[in-house]
Amino acid sequence: MRNIRFFAAVLALCAIGPLMATLITSPLMLSLLAQATFAAIFAVGVGFLIRQNGMVSFGHAAFYGLPGYMIGMLLPGASMPAEVVIIGAVVLTGILGFAIGLVIVRVHGIAFGMLTLAIGQGLYVAVTRVRGITGGHDGMNLRLPRELFGLPLKFLQQPQGMLIVSWLVLMLILVSIWLFSRSHWGRLTEGIRDNEERIRFLGYATLLPRALVFAASTVVAAIGGVMFVIYNTFISPDAVHWTASGSALIMAILGGAGSTWGPALGAFVYFLLKHAAGSYTTHWLSIIGVALILVSVAFPNGLAGLVVRWFNPARRGAAS
Amino acid sequence: MIIHFTLQTPFWLEVRMLIQVLNGLVYGALLFALASGLALMFGLRRIVNFAHGSLYMLGAYIGYSVGAHAGFWTGLAVAALALGLLGAALDVLVFRPLQDKDPLITLLVTFGLALIAEDVVQSIWGNDTLALAEPGLLIGTVQIPGTTFPVYRLAIIAFGALVACGLAAWLRLTRIGLFVRAASFNPTVAAIQGVDTDRVSALVVAVGAALAGASGVVAAPLLSLAPSMAADILVDSFIVVVVGGLGSLAGAFVVALLLGQINVLGIVFMPELTALLPFILMVGVLIWKPTGLAGNRL
Repeated sequence: MRNIRFFAAVLALCAIGPLMATLITSPLMLSLLAQATFAAIFAVGVGFLIRQNGMVSFGHAAFYGLPGYMIGMLLPGASMPAEVVIIGAVVLTGILGFAIGLVIVRVHGIAFGMLTLAIGQGLYVAVTRVRGITGGHDGMNLRLPRELFGLPLKFLQQPQGMLIVSWLVLMLILVSIWLFSRSHWGRLTEGIRDNEERIRFLGYATLLPRALVFAASTVVAAIGGVMFVIYNTFISPDAVHWTASGSALIMAILGGAGSTWGPALGAFVYFLLKHAAGSYTTHWLSIIGVALILVSVAFPNGLAGLVVRWFNPARRGAAS
Repeated sequence: MIIHFTLQTPFWLEVRMLIQVLNGLVYGALLFALASGLALMFGLRRIVNFAHGSLYMLGAYIGYSVGAHAGFWTGLAVAALALGLLGAALDVLVFRPLQDKDPLITLLVTFGLALIAEDVVQSIWGNDTLALAEPGLLIGTVQIPGTTFPVYRLAIIAFGALVACGLAAWLRLTRIGLFVRAASFNPTVAAIQGVDTDRVSALVVAVGAALAGASGVVAAPLLSLAPSMAADILVDSFIVVVVGGLGSLAGAFVVALLLGQINVLGIVFMPELTALLPFILMVGVLIWKPTGLAGNRL
């Protein structure tokens, strides 16, 4: 019975994307929602790291932008199909994320945040310097084949089509993360987050699970980045700048990193709010700054916490 | 057969290199003046102030506006004073209420403040880059055998040295400095011994903010003013503080000078990689010593 209800809920959530794509007619709004979905995937990756490892990353844009650059560099000379290059770029980013994770998850708290900031800015500097390959600050255009994964490229570059595809990808990621958090490994990493020494005392290795969570969060960010470059066929250093990491972090905190879906909610609210604010005022930075301060001080569970409390007053404050 | 010996000057003796080393000192001095406040704040409040670059930026802009009417020196004094007051307010209104919470919350709050500060600067002074003229007293160049060097840059080095000596004397020789060191070492024990840690913190944050503001004004004639200047220097000063050992003034001093040299020498020897060197330094040091070079010592 519980399984049936779970699948029904997942199907209903999956249907929201195609429903939005058919009901909303404004191309501007559709494009906005598609872009918000890429950001949502990115923010879910950042939020996953906060929830599962208790680590705040200021440099995840590196893993969001890197696959885009890899695809752009490898695709022109590659003899293999574009799909292999795209999946390969995500896998390579994940492997790199794992290698980096093995080293940097040993460092805790603020210093971890600074390390990720350094890694992100390091990549930013690198892509702006090797101008011959990456186009420097001008960015690089991708030449994608007419068909990707059996879907015509036209469909993927149209807001409607991309919204449906990226929404389904987002749902797939959310369900995977939700299942992970209920698994043995999910519980284990949460235990390590809360008291690493005690878990080590229980006989578990603590480094590997944390590095794996870090790697998984980079893979999620990479998938968001891949959707972004397929839709825009363009990547520029802006995608890997630390302000991009900062925005994703803001989305995750606004939405509430305490829940799987909070960061995604935060991303949609961020994009819609930015769009709405754009027509009234130029003070978007102040609005988001105040919102960030308010949420981090007064609502540690973010918007997701408020939503959960609204629908289920019995579970006060707990969003998971 | 005559063999010609050409006496070659080693590269590091060339005047060109001396100029580069001096330029490195200029940037190192600026970085230290900025990062010292960040290190002091961390020492006392265990917080990382993401808005520190914004304090530097606000100082530069206030110095610009006041300096345009009343001259550079008045601008410098007003900016330092204004930022000192802002720093005290920051401690009382933000850091103190948040001191028992997760340091990450304070980090996010100061991140929010940095966004607001950027908006404020954009609204008041616009997005264009502005330039502040150096004070009349320090215009001109000094003769160095074979070349010249701007007086103003030497003045920045002197400013950095002054900040370093001043802070060291303040912390080592005065009673308040003793309280600051005690409260950094262990706030609870210091409080039990009768040190008013809240007042000490407000003072230290005010001094740190005033130094950030003053560095902004001092840097303004050298670098230009733009709303992005906060973020540009913030990353470098974070590297200084984290690599030096969070909360350590001596560590920040060493790393700031090192980073200054890395920057200019990198430009000479491997221009493509220079901008990456500070990050490589940081990753390397933190992996080797996660608490930074100086550990937890002040």
